[in-house]
Amino acid sequence: MKFRVLLILVFVSIFSNGLSAQAQADDPVSLIERITGQIFTDVTENLEEYTANPEALEDLVRNDLMPLLDINYSARLILGRAGRGLSKEKVDEFATCMTNLLINRYSKALLQFSSEIKIQVLPQRGDLNPKLTRVRTRVTLPNGGEAPVDYAFHKTPEGWKAFDLVIEGISYITTYRNQIMPEVQANGIDSVIERLNTGQMQLAE
Amino acid sequence: MHNIRSIISLIMLALLLAGCAGTQSRNTDPENDPWEGYNRKVYAFNEGMDKVVRPIAVGYDKIMPDPLQRGVGNFFRNLDAPVTYVNLVLQGKFRESADTFGRFLINSTVGLLGFFDVASRLGIPFYNEDLGQTMATWGYDDSRYLMLPLFGPSTFRDGTGRLADSFYHPVGRVIHGSNRWGLWIFRGIDTRARYLDQDSELQSAYDPYVLMRDVWMQNRQYQIYDGDPPMLDYDLYLEDDYSLEEPAASGGQ
Repeated sequence: MKFRVLLILVFVSIFSNGLSAQAQADDPVSLIERITGQIFTDVTENLEEYTANPEALEDLVRNDLMPLLDINYSARLILGRAGRGLSKEKVDEFATCMTNLLINRYSKALLQFSSEIKIQVLPQRGDLNPKLTRVRTRVTLPNGGEAPVDYAFHKTPEGWKAFDLVIEGISYITTYRNQIMPEVQANGIDSVIERLNTGQMQLAE
Repeated sequence: MHNIRSIISLIMLALLLAGCAGTQSRNTDPENDPWEGYNRKVYAFNEGMDKVVRPIAVGYDKIMPDPLQRGVGNFFRNLDAPVTYVNLVLQGKFRESADTFGRFLINSTVGLLGFFDVASRLGIPFYNEDLGQTMATWGYDDSRYLMLPLFGPSTFRDGTGRLADSFYHPVGRVIHGSNRWGLWIFRGIDTRARYLDQDSELQSAYDPYVLMRDVWMQNRQYQIYDGDPPMLDYDLYLEDDYSLEEPAASGGQ
């Protein structure tokens, strides 16, 4: 479904331009609200430029997105017990290739849909839990439908970072964990990294 | 209706027996999917059926303009409203049931038999309930996964609920004869067409059966909790043993 690509896009947009955001209010909800606006404005205003030069958009996504995602933590959650005995470098390598795939998919989705969707960030419920805080958003799709997209944040020494994306109750971490963990156990991490790098596995829905 | 239903029960029974006869080589989730051996056989059966259904769905998707397809989706969704209404009442959600009643009235009339979702434009919220969800809210909340022939992922609870709901679904109560079958088949094709974009992802998965189960079970949980399921306990997922002293090392540069 194009739909899912759209939602993934929202994920990107929300976490892009992270560097400039860090100086300001840094609770997850403000972070999302502010950055959503920024990235959408940027891509909408410079759409032609980015269309002509998709690599510039990839760079933008890479530079601004990374500081706001705890990709290594996500990678560890996805690997689970299959991560036992792996060197930290291997886990980093795995995380990096996941990142590359995501950036590639996100940038493409951004070009295609950024002008067509709207995001509403719902207010924080309850206290901010540094271990796990959920931020809920509603995404209005081009066909008028609404899709719920939640983010799991935790607080690191570098501030709040997101590590999971939950669309209509479907957790990115849970879903990929149940695919990748058994595959690593059966074929080894190198084979999985190879499959991710050659594009045989589609990471983003 | 009873003919087709008995045929389906026969297929299910045959597959159930086949499943019992086989050996369960794999068990990826003993807690939620103890019937995995049987379920995988039905999954394979459904994949075989899909070789026929998918090309039809692809053709349908090509010739149907998007707005028309949206209308068809609205039409079928509207037909489910009575089932949702009954189950909202059973769950004691009376305000929501009144909304659903209103939706059904407006969309069936002003919305031209449901093709146009006028009610949503008027701001009347949409709810989706069925007997499976009702039983879950009544406390039957951990039913085992059950792959249904033709219908796909379900649980024992939801499959039973689905059968019970079908006895008073408008298709069958109001629409009779061969029209009814045409309508069910049409709906099947329309539904299949909506998942075409996800085929490549499913196929590229390491274990498509598990992927379908995960996605379905999580989304079902989400429906049961009306969009607000409990948060995951991510700590349980951290099973690696190298010690990452401080999370500062993460997040890239």
